Amino acid sequence: MSLASPASFQRLLVPAQRLLLSENLVLVLSVGYFVAMWPFTPGLAAPENLKNILSAMLPLLIVAIGQTFVLISRGIDLSVTSTIGLASVVGALAMNGESGWFRDSGLVVSAGVAVMLSVGTLLGAINGLAIARLRMPAFIVTLTTMMFVSGLAIWLTKSRNIYGLPAAFNVVGAYILPGVAVTLAVAVAAHLSLSRTVFGRWLYAVGHNERAAHISGVPVDRVILSAYVVCGLCGAIAAVLYTGRLETGSATMGQRILLDVIGATVIGGTSLYGGKGKVLWTVFGVLFLTLIDNTLNLQNLSHFTIMIVKGAVILLAAVLDTVRHKLAGKLADV
Amino acid sequence: MFEFRGISKGFFGVPVLSDVSFSIESGSTVGLVGENGAGKSTLMNIMGGNHQPDAGTLMLDGVSFEPRGPRDAAMARIAFIHQELNLFPNLSIAENLFLTSFPRRGGMPLIDRKTMRKRAAALLAEVELDMPPDTLVEHLTAGERQLVEITKALSIEARLIILDEPTTSLTARETERLFALMARLRGRGIAIIYISHSLDDVLRICDRIVVLRDGKLVASGPREEFTKERLVTLMVGRAIQQYFPPRVTRPSADPALEAIGLSHAGVVHNVSFTLQRGEVLGLAGLMGSGRTELARILFGLDECEHGEVRVQGRSLRSHSARESIRQRVAFLTEDRRSEGLCVEASITDNLALVTLPSLARLGWLDLGKLFASTAAICMAVRLNRSARASQPAKSLSGGNQQKVVLGKWLLAEPTVFILDEPTRGIDVGAKSEIYTLINELVARGVAVLVISSEIEELIGICDRILVMSRGELRDEVDRPDFDRERILRAALNKP
Amino acid sequence: MSSAHPRLLLIALNNAPTVLFALVLAAFGLLAPQFFTGQNLTNIGVQASSTAIVAIGMTFVLLTAGIDLSVGASMFVGAAVVGKMVLAGQPLPLALAAMIGVGAMFGALNALLITRVGVMPFVVTLATLYMGRGLALWITQTRAMNLPESFLQLGSLKLAGIPLPIALFVAVLVLAHVTLTRTPFGRQVYAVGADLEAARKAGLDTRRILFGVYLICGVCAALGGIISLAQIGAVSPKFGEYREFTAIAAAVLGGTSLFGGRGHVLPGTVIGALLIQSVENGLVILNADPYLYPLVTSAIIFAAVLLDSTRNRVLARIGRRKIRIEETK
Repeated sequence: MSLASPASFQRLLVPAQRLLLSENLVLVLSVGYFVAMWPFTPGLAAPENLKNILSAMLPLLIVAIGQTFVLISRGIDLSVTSTIGLASVVGALAMNGESGWFRDSGLVVSAGVAVMLSVGTLLGAINGLAIARLRMPAFIVTLTTMMFVSGLAIWLTKSRNIYGLPAAFNVVGAYILPGVAVTLAVAVAAHLSLSRTVFGRWLYAVGHNERAAHISGVPVDRVILSAYVVCGLCGAIAAVLYTGRLETGSATMGQRILLDVIGATVIGGTSLYGGKGKVLWTVFGVLFLTLIDNTLNLQNLSHFTIMIVKGAVILLAAVLDTVRHKLAGKLADV
Repeated sequence: MFEFRGISKGFFGVPVLSDVSFSIESGSTVGLVGENGAGKSTLMNIMGGNHQPDAGTLMLDGVSFEPRGPRDAAMARIAFIHQELNLFPNLSIAENLFLTSFPRRGGMPLIDRKTMRKRAAALLAEVELDMPPDTLVEHLTAGERQLVEITKALSIEARLIILDEPTTSLTARETERLFALMARLRGRGIAIIYISHSLDDVLRICDRIVVLRDGKLVASGPREEFTKERLVTLMVGRAIQQYFPPRVTRPSADPALEAIGLSHAGVVHNVSFTLQRGEVLGLAGLMGSGRTELARILFGLDECEHGEVRVQGRSLRSHSARESIRQRVAFLTEDRRSEGLCVEASITDNLALVTLPSLARLGWLDLGKLFASTAAICMAVRLNRSARASQPAKSLSGGNQQKVVLGKWLLAEPTVFILDEPTRGIDVGAKSEIYTLINELVARGVAVLVISSEIEELIGICDRILVMSRGELRDEVDRPDFDRERILRAALNKP
Repeated sequence: MSSAHPRLLLIALNNAPTVLFALVLAAFGLLAPQFFTGQNLTNIGVQASSTAIVAIGMTFVLLTAGIDLSVGASMFVGAAVVGKMVLAGQPLPLALAAMIGVGAMFGALNALLITRVGVMPFVVTLATLYMGRGLALWITQTRAMNLPESFLQLGSLKLAGIPLPIALFVAVLVLAHVTLTRTPFGRQVYAVGADLEAARKAGLDTRRILFGVYLICGVCAALGGIISLAQIGAVSPKFGEYREFTAIAAAVLGGTSLFGGRGHVLPGTVIGALLIQSVENGLVILNADPYLYPLVTSAIIFAAVLLDSTRNRVLARIGRRKIRIEETK
C-alpha cells in the first residue's frame, strides 16, 4: 500500500510526541542530562556530590513552591528573595548571642524561628492585601516591596552580617536531614493543598478566570491573599535553612536566586498566565536547574559561564514549551 | 460576481466542508445559516485566506482567486466584520479606519492628521454616524462600533462585505439602523454575506439563503422558498416538532424571590416584583435598559443604594455572590466566555466550581463524590456524550459550553435561577434542549427568571413577562395576554 | 449624590503622577531651600537623563504588552565592550557606536525570539538578562575598569549651554513622542498592545512592529548606558544592575499600563523618571541617612501605583453609571 511510509513515520512519531507532551518531560530531560554528562564530569555521581545537589535544591525548592502558588493565581512575587533577607536579619537579631532579643531565653531557637516565619507571613499578607484588596498590579507591588524590604533589611543591619547564632539553630544547616524533612513536608503539604483541597481548586479557578470565579462564589480576595501569604511563608522557611547553613544573618541572602526561582518554576511548566502549575513540575524544574549549576561547577567553569549557560537553558526550556503547546493545540483540533 | 466552486476542506482527515458551491451577485444579500460546526466559519476563513481549500476554487469576477492572508482579501476588496469586533478601543475612530493606510504628509513619515480627519468625517457621514472622528472607540456603544466596522469596509471600497452575527450585541434600534444601512449598501451594488442564528432577520433582509449542514450545502434559493420551520428542519436535519416544549406544571403562589423598591442612581429605578416557585418569569428590554444590571443587583454582584432583595422570604442583608449562593440562588451570565466559564480548565473543574465546599470536609475534597456528582450532572444537562470530563471547556461547542455553565449551577440545587441570555449564540438544537431543561427545573419547583433579547423566546417559554426600559419596569404581561407588539412598545417606552 | 464629586476626584486621579510630583517637589522645597535653585534642578535633570532614556525605550515595549528585563544586562555588555575598546586605544566614537550596536543586537535577539519562536517576552528577556550579565562578566573578567578622563569629560560637555545628558534626553524624548503620537508605526504600536490577534487580523505586520519596539528599547538602553558611563567613569561588575526595574517603575509611575495599549512618554514616563530622581536628590540635599533612600523611593512608587489603581476603580464605578445615560441619549 502506498500509505505504508506515512504510517511507519507515524509509528515513530507517536512515542516522540507522547514524550514531548508528557508532564514528566523535564524529569526525563534531567535524567538524560545527568547520564550524558556523567562520562565528562568527574565526580558527578559521587555520593558527596549527590548530597551537594540535594542540599542546593532544598531551599530553592521551597521558595519555588511558594512562587508556584502565586503564579497559579495569575500573579508574580518578585519580593520573595528580599523576604528571605529580611527574615534572616530579623531572626539573627532575635537570636544572636551578643544582643539578641531572646538570647537568654531557653526557647531562643523556637522564638527566633517563629519570628522569622512571622516576618514572611506578614510580608506575604502585605503583598496580598495590596494586590487583592487594592487591585494593584502584582508585578509593581512586589517590585516595590522588593526594593523596600531589602532596603529595610540593609538599614536594620547597616550592611553588616550578624554572627553568633545559637548552635542549636545552626544544626539546621550543618546536617542535611532536617532540611530534607522540612522540604519534604512543605512539598507534600503544598501538593496536597493544590490537588486535594477546596482552596487548591479555587486557586486554579482564580488564575483561569477571576470574574467567573467570583460569580461562582469563590472568595477571590481571600484566595489571592492566601497565595501571597503561602509564598512569603515559604520564603521565610527557606530563610531558616539558608541562615542555619551560613550561621549568619545577612540582608543580601537570597538576592541572587530570584531569577533562578522564577526560571525553575517556569521551566517546570507553570504558566505565567495563571491557572496552570503543579508542585511536582516545580520539583523537576528546580532539579533541572540545580543539576546544570552543579555540573558546570564541577567542570570548573567560571560563574559567568554558568550564567550564560543557565540563560540559554531557560530559553531552550521555554522554546520546548512553546513547541509542546503548538503540538498539543494541533492534536486537540482533530 | 463571487463564486464558490466545489470547495472541500478537511482537518486531519476529518471533512469539514465537502463540495460546497454557490455564488453571490453584486448588490445582493445572501443569508448563510447552519448550526455551529456546519462549516460556516471554515468557509469564511477560506475566503479570508486563513485556510486553503483541499479541493475546489474561489472565483472572483470569473477569475480564480487564491487569497493567502487578510491582506489578499483586503486587496480584493472583501471585508469581514466578525462577531468580536476588530476595533482597537484605545485608538480614535479615524485611526481605526486608517490603521493600515494612514494618509501621510508628502514624503514624510508623519501622519497627515488633517486629511485623515476629513476623510474619516466623510466616511462616517455615509453610515450616518454623527461622531467626531477623534472620539476614542472605547467611548462608543456596541452599535456605534458596528457602524465604525462598516465604515472601515467602505474605506477600502469593499465590494463584498461578510457580516458574522452582527446583531448579537445591538439594541433593537441599532439593529434597525444596521438593516437600513445594509439596504443602502445593496443599492450601491455592494454584495453582502449575512451569517446569523436569528432566522427571522435572515428571512427579512436576505435575497437568497444558503443552508449548510455538516459541511454540505443542503439548500440554496431565493428567500421566498423558505419559511422559518423549513430552515430549522434543514439546519437540524430532522423536523423539530416542538421548538418550545410545552409545560404541564403551573407556578405556585409561594414567593421565591422578591425585589422591593430597588433603586440605584443611573442604573435601576424603583423596581419591585415577585417571582413565584415553579414560575418562569421573563424580563424583556432592550440592551442597555438595565435588565442585566438588575440581574447583577439581584445576585449581589453590584451594590444597590435602596431597596431589598428577599429569597424565600428572608432578606439578604449583606448581599454578595457568596451569600446568594448560600441562599441557593444561581446566576447564568450573558457573557459565557469571560464570566461563565474557566475556558482553559476541564469540564469537571468547571462543573464543580460552585459546589466545591459541599464536596469537601474541612476543606479536604472528597474526589469520589466530586467525580460522581459531576458525571451525573453531565447526563442531566445532556452534554455531548463524546466529551471527556478532563478535556478543557474551550474545546466544546457554544451550546455544550452553555450546558456546562448550567450544570455548574444545577449541581448547587438552586431554588431560584437567574438566566441572562441563556441561548445567545447557540444553535437551534441546543436551544430547544435548554428550554426543556428550564421546564424540568420549574417542574421541581425552582423559580426561574429569564432575560432575553428575543421576544419570541420569552413568549415561548414564560408564564409572565416583565418589560424594562430605562431602568424601570414598564409593563407586566401574563401568559394569556402575550403580545409581541405590546412588549416591544413597552420596551421602546412608547405609549 | 452629585456627579460633580466623582468627576473632580477623577480629574485629580487622572493626573495623579503629576500631582504627586508637584507634592514631592513642594515638600522638598519647603524642607530644603537650596532644592529649588537652578543649579540643583539642572542636576536633577542631568541625573535623571539616563533613567529617563531607558524608561522611554521601555515604554515602547510596555505599550505592546511586552516587557524587557534585559536592558540592564545589555547596558553592562555594551559598557564592557566600550571599556575594552577605549583601553585598547580605539577612538571614542567607534566605541560608542559599538555600544549602540550591542543594544540594538540585544533588542533584535529578544524580538526574534519573541516573534519568530513565540516565547513570551518575560521569559525571553529573563534569559537574555542572564546571558548578557554572564557575557559581560566574561569580557571584563569580573574586574572593574576605570575609563580615561576623556570619557568623564563627555558627561560634563555642554551643547549651547545645555549639559550633554539633558540634550540627549530631550532629543530622545521628542523623537519618541512624535513617533508614538504622529507616525503610523506609533499608532500601530498602540493597536498591537490593545489586541495582538486583532492587529494581525487587521493586516498589520505585527512581527515588524514588535521587532521595532524591542530594537528601540535596546538602542535606548545603550544611550542611557553611555550617559551612566560618562557620569560614573568606570565599568564595575554591578553596572546596569536592576536598571530594568527602575525603567519599568518610571514608566508605570507615569501611567503606562503593564497590560499594553495605554501610556505616554510625555508627560508620563518623563514625570516618572524625574519623580524618582528628585526624591533621591532631595534626600541627598536633606542629608538623609543613605540607607533610607530605597525605602522612601519605593514608598513613593507604591503610593503612585496605589493612586492609579484607585483611579481605575473609580472609573469602573462611573462606567457603571453610564449605562443609562447612553440609553436615554
